[in-house]
Amino acid sequence: MRFGKKAVLASIATAAALALSACGGGTSGGSSSGGAVNGAGKTLNVFVGKNTTYPQQQQQWFTDTAAAFKKATGADLKFETFASGNDELTKIQTSAVSGQGPDIYSLGTTFTPTAVATGAFAQLGDDDWKALGGKDKFNQAALGISGPDQNKLYAVPFASRPFVMAYNKELLQAAGIDKPATTWTGLVEQAKKATDASKGQYGMAIAYKDNYDPWKYIWAMSEQSGNKLVDGKTANVNNDAVTKAYQTYFGWLTKDKVVDPASVGWTNSQALANFASGKAAFFLMTSTGSLNTLNGSAIKDKYDYALMPTQLGDSAPSGARPVASILSGDNMGIASYSKNKDLALAFLKMVTDKDQQLSYQKTFGDLPTNSDALSSLSSTPHMAAVTDAAAKSFATPFTGAWADIQLALVNVTVQSIPDLASGNVSDSALSQRLQAAQNSAQQSLNRAK
Amino acid sequence: MSTAPHPAPESRLAARAAGRGPRPAPPPSAGGAETGPADKRRGLSERNRPLWMLIPGGILMLVVIVVPLALGVYISFLDLDQYTIRQWLSAPFIAFANYVEALTQSGILRSVWLSVSYSAIAMAITLPLGVAAAVATQNKFRGRALVRSIFLIPYVLPGFVVATVWRTMFQPSGVITNLLHQLGINPGLYLNGPNTYWVLVFVQIWASWPFIYLLALSGLQGVDHEVHEASALDGALWWTKLRYVIFPYLKGPISLAILIGMLHHINNFTLPFVLFGSPAPDDVAVLPYLTYETGFVSFRFGLSAGMAVVSLVLILIPLFIYLRAVKLDDAETSGGRK
Amino acid sequence: MSTSAATLATKAPTAVERPGSRQQREVTRLLPGWLLTAIAVVLCAAVLIPIVYIFLASLNTDIGVASGEIWPSSWTIDNYVNIWSSVGLANGLTNSLIVAGSTAIVSAAFSIGTAFVLVRYQFRGRRTILRALLGLQSVPGTLIVLPLFVLFSSSATYLGLQVIGTRWGLFITYLTFSLPFSTWVMVTYLRGLPKELEEAARIDGATNLGVLTKIILPLSWPGLIVSAIFAFLPGWNDVLFASVMTRPDTQTAAVALQVFASSSEGGAIPLYGQMMAASLVCAAPVVLIYMFFQKYLVGGLTSGGVK
Repeated sequence: MRFGKKAVLASIATAAALALSACGGGTSGGSSSGGAVNGAGKTLNVFVGKNTTYPQQQQQWFTDTAAAFKKATGADLKFETFASGNDELTKIQTSAVSGQGPDIYSLGTTFTPTAVATGAFAQLGDDDWKALGGKDKFNQAALGISGPDQNKLYAVPFASRPFVMAYNKELLQAAGIDKPATTWTGLVEQAKKATDASKGQYGMAIAYKDNYDPWKYIWAMSEQSGNKLVDGKTANVNNDAVTKAYQTYFGWLTKDKVVDPASVGWTNSQALANFASGKAAFFLMTSTGSLNTLNGSAIKDKYDYALMPTQLGDSAPSGARPVASILSGDNMGIASYSKNKDLALAFLKMVTDKDQQLSYQKTFGDLPTNSDALSSLSSTPHMAAVTDAAAKSFATPFTGAWADIQLALVNVTVQSIPDLASGNVSDSALSQRLQAAQNSAQQSLNRAK
Repeated sequence: MSTAPHPAPESRLAARAAGRGPRPAPPPSAGGAETGPADKRRGLSERNRPLWMLIPGGILMLVVIVVPLALGVYISFLDLDQYTIRQWLSAPFIAFANYVEALTQSGILRSVWLSVSYSAIAMAITLPLGVAAAVATQNKFRGRALVRSIFLIPYVLPGFVVATVWRTMFQPSGVITNLLHQLGINPGLYLNGPNTYWVLVFVQIWASWPFIYLLALSGLQGVDHEVHEASALDGALWWTKLRYVIFPYLKGPISLAILIGMLHHINNFTLPFVLFGSPAPDDVAVLPYLTYETGFVSFRFGLSAGMAVVSLVLILIPLFIYLRAVKLDDAETSGGRK
Repeated sequence: MSTSAATLATKAPTAVERPGSRQQREVTRLLPGWLLTAIAVVLCAAVLIPIVYIFLASLNTDIGVASGEIWPSSWTIDNYVNIWSSVGLANGLTNSLIVAGSTAIVSAAFSIGTAFVLVRYQFRGRRTILRALLGLQSVPGTLIVLPLFVLFSSSATYLGLQVIGTRWGLFITYLTFSLPFSTWVMVTYLRGLPKELEEAARIDGATNLGVLTKIILPLSWPGLIVSAIFAFLPGWNDVLFASVMTRPDTQTAAVALQVFASSSEGGAIPLYGQMMAASLVCAAPVVLIYMFFQKYLVGGLTSGGVK
């Protein structure tokens, strides 16, 4: 019976293979490529996000790293790339279910809790950290989202991409502003001064339509007003702090009118394009990923980065945390099914050492998570504010429910955009949407394990 | 070689003239398609059936569709999420809880309505377009090969390319907004709010009319030359000829096209997803969006599978009613050999 | 009815001997010339306007596209050069052609056999099969992808047969998904074919297979081509299955493109120009293949002589 099934399967497979090789018409390698028979030493498979801003450089980095790794361990190193978080999730899912796949996954910071919740990643014990060169070698803030608490860590911080704002020095000067404000109310005042709608010039470039930006503002302002969106098993999404945060965020467009009305349709990159053309004084929620575009733009000598406001108004309410940015960047996790944990640790040690981290920063712009490397950077042009933000980044809640909460927060903005475009988001509509977000966030937290 | 693949013309024509089954009647006697005598040729052979020819396809479908589908249905009975995915076979069995949640809490019925209505509207417009294109290109003219190939372009562009291109054009500072603005038209946002529904319909039409075109074209090829000659001899006007002579021949391919086209629209995830992003604006929260967000953003794999099964059932019911109505699967009662 | 039979006896042979003659064209023309031209022009324009825009955008800079330019303010062909290294298009196109091409051929071959049996023979479950084939079309891919992956990956564990990451794993998947529809295309086509020849051949002692290969096949090219095109496209366009079932070296063009498109949207301005250029390059092979095959699509009219 069992044999029968196998035989059937095998015969289909053979028939199909024959068919394919017959039709493939002499193109060889069709079925050999997946064979993965490796007699000579071991192979470590690493799954990382594709970098299309620097495609050649990434290829080069793959080659160089593989060569160095081969020299150090004698093992082969193979990189695979994924396009988006969704692709990666599907891969993790399918690999976790089937027990085969890459040994190491690069995990976005906010995605790490979800990935860890699948149980597909190995917990890192003291010996493991020793093998990595010690916890101390990392920027301590960067470890904040490697696991639920200090003693339960699953992921190794690899690169850091804190969020900052870019500003146009020329426009600020023209408006009589000497340096960017450090509170949200101050920033709005500055933005008003820099706005000249008749010239199509606005104080801020904001990406309302972006699928990732909106929740970061809400999270930051909520933290700055002392409200934790997730407190243990409770979601705090529908309350005054959050309502105020959305009102401020929408108000830039509807009330303060410091934002281009067209921005209701902008994604982050379109807001960047607008800022790069010199039409906005501030561009919020950006990272070193924008360096390339800005350095090739009309304002290449006129911009710099600054911390986003870390406080709402002049005085901070009790319990407020001065968050400058979410803890953002990439972690690396070792798959729990991996049979090459030693090799994986060796690889991770190698790429988190100071020199490797600095050369990675030089090529790709992402900040090091290695603390020595990070502190040596602050004098580089445009880097001062960014390294500062790396130290002032706070981790988003480490719960498997976070992805849902993020989605719920963004959904409030998505559904408000038509109202936003017509110039007014009514309080009743907002509170209704917040209630929906609260329900889905709480429901998701109830399921969290 | 006693089998003559090309019999002599006379015998062939004689056989045709004598043995023809009822075919769509020429214009004056319209609608008389069903009246042919049930001659011996109509019955399907029951002797010596080469049923083995069904085996390869059958096995493939069993392994690649039916078994995974069964697994998918099984998953829909599990409380499978990111916390249980790793030992997914031992995830808690919760019977119909996912279905109850899908039907009562997820807004699935609204999504079904959005999906079905949008796909029906898109179909209602693509159908005449596709048929017109097929009729227009069935005769030889200079450059026909080129025109036919051009017609195919929207269909051969990968779905997300189509969506990306249109999204680029529909974005607030994009070409379409700019052009309409210059013409003094300002309908607001295309990628958010109520317009999204019509944008989706529009892009779907652009992308999928060639599908109807291809099927209609293949149907037209099946029209016998004598039919053309007969109606030419009768001096039928071109639209009467189209209506009563040609279209009956297209009934089979077109019914099939409507069915498959609608299913393609309903199951089309890439187009809305790339056009509008995630989370979806409420006006285009179609079914695939809902199952996708449930499964791949909220990681409720069990619930997502439940939703997919619910939608599958909701789609299969009208599908079989439709099949009965058009008798697509039954050559013997659908008017001649079509 | 009798008129047409008479016409047939007297007129058909001459018309058939000169396919494509003026006379025949007049007879088979379904629309007045002006309408025909109008339809062709309007539809071509509807297709080509966006395509021309894509083409112009592919020669534009990314900032130019982002700001809504139609006519590029500065021209560049860099996009067409860069895509080969940034998108990995050559490898992707090769894989796509192999996988989708084999799918099309094998699917057409399988579907004519299946359709032949379903159209010409009566057996229990025939109608059920026909309906099930359509029913299978409505199964959403997202429901299948995870279980299928598990199934395929366990074949490596239990049978020692590596399916994931290979081209033929993908081929089998696409073949299966295209078979139901290809079969239906052939079913509708075969129903339109006359039975006299088959009967004559059977009287001459031909076997089932003989009838299929010697009688049905030569008459079926137009249907087969359409069925092959329909089988080709899902494989060519699919992203869902290809993205989980391939490795970098077996990645299809669609996946390569999508990886490129979605990963180029973080932080910096999307690389619109390369995106558009790569899209055009990806669509070109299919359009060319179709241009070559479309002449076989005229079957029903000019192959009248073969019937």
